[in-house]
Amino acid sequence: MLPDERAFRADIIRPAFKLAEIEGRWRLEIITWPSALVAVRARDDRMFTLRFELSGFPNAPPTARLWDPGRGSPLAPHLFPKSQGRVGAVFRIDWKGGSALYLPCDREAIEGHDNWRTEMPSKIWRPADGIAQYLELVHELLNSRDYAPPGQP
Amino acid sequence: MKDIDIFYQLEGISEIQHILAPPDETVAALKARIKAKHGISDDAWLFVEDDDGDIDESKSVGAIATSAGVKVHLHRCRRVDVTVAFAGRTLEHKFAPGTTVARIKRWAAQELGMSKEDVGEHVLQISGTHHRPTPSTHIGTLAKCPACRIAFDLVPDERVNGSSAM
Repeated sequence: MLPDERAFRADIIRPAFKLAEIEGRWRLEIITWPSALVAVRARDDRMFTLRFELSGFPNAPPTARLWDPGRGSPLAPHLFPKSQGRVGAVFRIDWKGGSALYLPCDREAIEGHDNWRTEMPSKIWRPADGIAQYLELVHELLNSRDYAPPGQP
Repeated sequence: MKDIDIFYQLEGISEIQHILAPPDETVAALKARIKAKHGISDDAWLFVEDDDGDIDESKSVGAIATSAGVKVHLHRCRRVDVTVAFAGRTLEHKFAPGTTVARIKRWAAQELGMSKEDVGEHVLQISGTHHRPTPSTHIGTLAKCPACRIAFDLVPDERVNGSSAM
């Protein structure tokens, strides 16, 4: 097992990750290195699955996209959370074809956005905090007032 | 009987900790084990998350468990002085160390009369830093004895933007 996979497997047994699983905030589905599927609960109990790409974890930030685990393919855009407010600003279908979340802690999104390091330092990837940092941000968005399920006004 | 998951936080340690406890172990015995594990010899108190009351230490762990196990906090302070600064006002209140940042934010928002929309647009940040503890953080992890205090600013949660479509 490579060091990045070993580090990720150690990360997901940390108490913060396990507590969130027990409380139903998110759920690890499967690891197929260097990918992992994690489902995150929204405030209407709908689960949105993220497919993480974790090469170089934890020193390299992860990147994730919404995923359809049933089809084994990227989630169709019409099944994204409704694009509005701060939720729509992160789950974008008009940026890189929805292939990454538009979050400062995402490896794809941080590229070319050095300004985020000073403008939003709390959302920059922190290797010591592990994957829970990314998932906390996503969970918070999916449980905010800006969240609306797909196809809802 | 199956052991119970104990998730706990404590003074000066940012990461949530975990141990298992048999359901019939007393809270006093659990506290002693946590203190021993972290080399704490001073008097310290155990608090249930978001509960300002003292735990009856003669109770069993099973009696205070929920479906998620037990979430507690160990601290040498019995109360933490909390201030929240926002728009020229400073709120003050004493909370138990096991109080979550989420509860502090709800309290501050209520005291300030903020709308639900405004609440969602703001987060608590430790004064003088860029550190924004997660909602599940116990304030006791941020406050050291003997000062037993923590100061927050309620600040806008910046929206992620700055790029055109690609």
